[in-house]
Formats: sequence, C-alpha cells, structure tokens
Amino acid sequence: MSGVSFLAVVREVQVPLIAVLLIGGCAAKARQAFGTHHESGPTAMFPPRLRRPAVIALCATELMLGVALLATADRAGAGVPAFAVRAATALLFGTAAAALNELRTRKPDTGCGCFGDLSRTPVSWRVIARAALLCAAAVASIDVAPLSMPDSSRQAWLTLAAAAAELAVLAALSPEIGQVMTRLSHAEPCELREVPVGRTLSTLYASAAWRRCQRFLVATAPIDVWREGCWRFAVFPGVLASRRVDVVFAVHLTGRGAPVRVGMLDTGTAFATSWNASFPNPLQIYNRV
Amino acid sequence: MAWWRLQSHSGQVRRKPGIRAIRDNSVESGIPAWFSRRALLRAAVFDTRGQDLWAQRPTIATSVATGVIEGVREDAIAVHSGQATEFFGVSPSTVTWLGARVSPTALRTGDPVVIRYRRQDAAPKQRLAERIWARAGRVTGAILKVDGSEFLVDAGRRDKTPQRVVLAPASSRQIQVRFPRLAPGYLLDVIGTRHGDHLLAVSPATAQPPYHAGHSPRPPLTAGHVTVPISGSAVWHEPDDEPPGLLGLAYPAIDPETAAQPAHGGTGCVRLPYLSLGSTVRIRNECTDRTAVLPVTSDGAMAREFCDRCVMCGTSPKGRIADLTMAAFVELGGNLEDGCFNATLTTMTG
Repeated sequence: MSGVSFLAVVREVQVPLIAVLLIGGCAAKARQAFGTHHESGPTAMFPPRLRRPAVIALCATELMLGVALLATADRAGAGVPAFAVRAATALLFGTAAAALNELRTRKPDTGCGCFGDLSRTPVSWRVIARAALLCAAAVASIDVAPLSMPDSSRQAWLTLAAAAAELAVLAALSPEIGQVMTRLSHAEPCELREVPVGRTLSTLYASAAWRRCQRFLVATAPIDVWREGCWRFAVFPGVLASRRVDVVFAVHLTGRGAPVRVGMLDTGTAFATSWNASFPNPLQIYNRV
Repeated sequence: MAWWRLQSHSGQVRRKPGIRAIRDNSVESGIPAWFSRRALLRAAVFDTRGQDLWAQRPTIATSVATGVIEGVREDAIAVHSGQATEFFGVSPSTVTWLGARVSPTALRTGDPVVIRYRRQDAAPKQRLAERIWARAGRVTGAILKVDGSEFLVDAGRRDKTPQRVVLAPASSRQIQVRFPRLAPGYLLDVIGTRHGDHLLAVSPATAQPPYHAGHSPRPPLTAGHVTVPISGSAVWHEPDDEPPGLLGLAYPAIDPETAAQPAHGGTGCVRLPYLSLGSTVRIRNECTDRTAVLPVTSDGAMAREFCDRCVMCGTSPKGRIADLTMAAFVELGGNLEDGCFNATLTTMTG
C-alpha cells in the first residue's frame, strides 16, 4: 500500500468519525442544556440570560451537522451539499478552537463544555489542539469522494487502523477520558450519598430488629426521621411495660441488609406534648424549632 | 427520666446516667428541645461513652454575651440580655466596633451588642469586656435588585424577606473592588451596621465569586470516605428566627431528603457528610486554638454558595464548612468584622 493511498483512507475516515463525535457531543451537551449548569464552555462568556439559549443552539448545530455529514457521505449527497456541510463543520471547529483559546485567557478556571458535564477540566492546550485537529480533519474531508464499502479486506483493515489511530490521538487530547474513568471507578461513600427515606424504611421493615420490636409499636409510620452521616434514624411511638416509649431505629445507609440498631427511650413527662401532638407528615415535623 | 436500652429478645433494659444533664443543658444553651431530643434518642441507640460528639453536652457560652445596651459609663456598660441586666467592665484595652473602631462612649442605649469578655483573676465574678461589637450585621446572598448604592438581597431567610443593603459612601469603592459585579444574580457578602430596616455595609466579607448564585463548583470526585477533620472557612450569620445568644451553626450539607425546604442537594465545594438539624459537630478555630461542640441549628444554604478561602491565619482550603451563629463565632475567638476564621470540623462519622 503506497503512502498516497493510506492518506486517502485517512481522509475517508474523517467524515463518519467527525459525525459520530458531533452527535456524541450534542448528546452530552443536551443534559447540560436542559439542566441548571451552563457555566462551562465558550458560552460561559455570554451574558447569563443568553447562556442557555447558546448551549441549546450549539447542541442543535452539532446534531444537524453530524446528521448532515452522514446523509451527504454517499453518492446521493455528493457535490455541493457535501461540500457545504463539510465546510460548515470545518468552520465550526475552527471557531471552537479560537473561542476556546479566548476562554482560556478570560476564564482560566472554566471547562470547555465540549462534552457537557464531562468537560469540566479547565481548558488546556490539549483541548485547543483537539479542536484544531478536528478542524483540519474537516478541511481534509471537503473534497473526499463519496464513501463506499472497502474493496478488499486489506483496505478494510487499513480503514480500521486509521480510525483507531485517530481515535487514540483524540483520546490523548481529551481530558474527558479521565473524567469517565473516574466516574466509572467512583462509588460515593455512604455519608455523601443521597438516599431516599423510602429506601431506608424498606431496609428497616425488612430487618430482624424491626420484626423483634414491632410488637412494642403503636404506629408503623415514623414520627421523626433524621440523618447523621452514614446512619439514618427513625423514631416510632411504642408501649413497653405499660409505659409510653419512643422506639428509635438507626439504619446504616449501605443498602438492603445493612446493619440496623434499635433503642428505646421513656418519653416521660418532658415530652408528653410531643406524644399528644398530631403529626400529619413525619418528614415535615423534622425541622420544627 | 429513665433511659432504657433494649439488649436482647427478652427486652432487658438498663439505665444510663447523664441523660437528664443533657436535657437540662439544652434549656440553658437555648437549643430547641426538638434538637436535644434527638441527642437523647441517638444516645438510646448507641453507646456514647467515649464519643464526645454523640454524648457531650453542647457548649455553654463562657466568654460571650449578647443583649441590648442599657447604660454606658467610662468604666462599665450595662447590657440587658433578655432575662437580666449584666454589667461588664470596660478598660482602655477594650476594643469597640461600631462599623469601625470607636471609643466605648460612642455606644448608645438600645444598641444591640455582642461582647466577648474574660473574668478577672482577682475577682472572678467581675467580667471585663475584651471586645464589643455594636449593631453588627452581615448580609450574604444573591442580589435581586440594584438601585445605585442600594441593593435588595435574597439572604435565604425563612420568611423569604429580601434584605436591604446600602453601601456606606466611604466604603463603596473598597466593596466594589472585591465585588465588581454588583448586578442581579451575583452573590454579595458584606459586613456592616444595622440601621432600622437596612444594613449599612462598611466592608466586604470576602471576594465575589465569578459565578452566579446557584452555580458554585462541585467538589472533585474522589474515592473513599470523607477524611476528618475537614478544613475550610468558618463564617457567621445574623440570627434569622434563632435566639440572639444561640450557640450553633448552619451546616452546608443538610440531608436533602429530610430538609425543611427542598434542597438542591450537594454540599457546596467541600465534601461534607450529610447531617440533620440537631446533629453535633466539633469546630476548632485554627487561629485561636479554641474548640467547641456545637449543634446544627439551621441549613447553611448560603455557605454552599461560596467556594472561597479564609486567610486569617494561613490560607484555608476552599469552601465554607460552617456558618456559625454570632455568639458561637465570637465564643470560638472569631472577630465579627473579620468575617471568617480558618477552621476544622469533625463529625461523628469520622
């Protein structure tokens, strides 16, 4: 295989690769566009009220260009449509590289936002180089002939090798890869995990401690629920030896089958009012002062 | 009151001393009974011996008093604390703050004050005021409206009432240097003196974050449990509907599942374990080496908004870990006009 034909294969790979990156980037941005955080990417330089519309517009542009690149890749879209779409893609990446360079100067703490929430790492030369590389790739794809299936297995392998090599280069220039790896390997410790009260109560109701103490309870709805790091406490009214007691369960927030501890407190006269009070919603009485 | 703990299927119980002391103490320290009740219930489940955060009685003020001035003399001031009139000696070394350092004679009857005092060695019953803060106030929140040098600020109060802030003409430039974006949506944190319905801002409490309210950066993703003690900045807030002398703190990581108002989750830019009202934490002022065990008495929503550092003694890590009541801040050795101190926080999960 000559060097010239290898270069031709590399150019042919660009169209589907860029299309996939654009559609992937749009999908990653979509969550950011409809969420509350629009502080990353070049749109962070916009006035606050324009940030969200700008993210949505950018997301839509990427989606349209990605779909149009795929639609004009074969013979049906050859000619002016393919030229226009690929030139617009090159313009988008060229503008992105310049905007990221500006962002790096004006807001050095801001991420590029290229892949939404994954792109929170401050803009570096790697990210700018990636945008410039994609701009060059889009320019290189402008006069590529309509795509077709490989003629031979050798050409197919060459195409795969070219795509893999380019993906490796892009991965090396992408801080998002590190974020993805961190997220995949990250398990929030129990003290930082948001755990619904309903799940805690399910764990409690399935526990041996609950079955053991259920006979002392006069209600199955908690009168108070609160949390201390990895433990959530639930208090139930009960009667033990003809005395009113509060039965308090501590449920560890590690999931089903987690440790459950129990204790009882004689309510005494000091808390008689809390006994007699009505508790329409146990979660709302929680913050009574 | 009896304390029983279920120990086996047969329902054996045993008594535990000290619970009455905890309950009685809650009344002394002004902690709502609802919170102290949680301490009792917690103690009913766990053996709290040797774990001071679970069992220790919350701190009682030993060096701070709050109230309203009833009279001023050259050598003493009389302060009505709501229950009785208390007298504090004043010496040339007493520092008095009323928007700036002033002479104690500048204080007027009716001024609300916070006093840090010490007992005199020769006469332990006599208390000498070390520092007096009069009409001290602080507004921390998101700017809602700007009208020249006047601002309406959403300080996250329970009644949703916006706070009115007026920049003192002499301090306007100084504040604008630290808060260059005095526009709706951006955050403001200023210290000043209370005058009727507004705060006359005389100094910035920190530097303005570059982001809008509600967009504070998230803490980095790191594996493993939270390492305690947690270092950061401790700030103070004015009482909302709390008693003026309450020793407690607004905690930035209130469990969103059981919060009074729907919380957006998250803990600001510091990894803090979720707690609830009534939980206790140990706070240490790194600058004065004073420590106190304090109850969580409110939601530190505004502390979550700021990702700043305190530079009172060295540079603290980013983020506010506690928003103390005025009395707790002063009790721990902080000076209200400084706005913060470098602090470490220990929770019982550590």
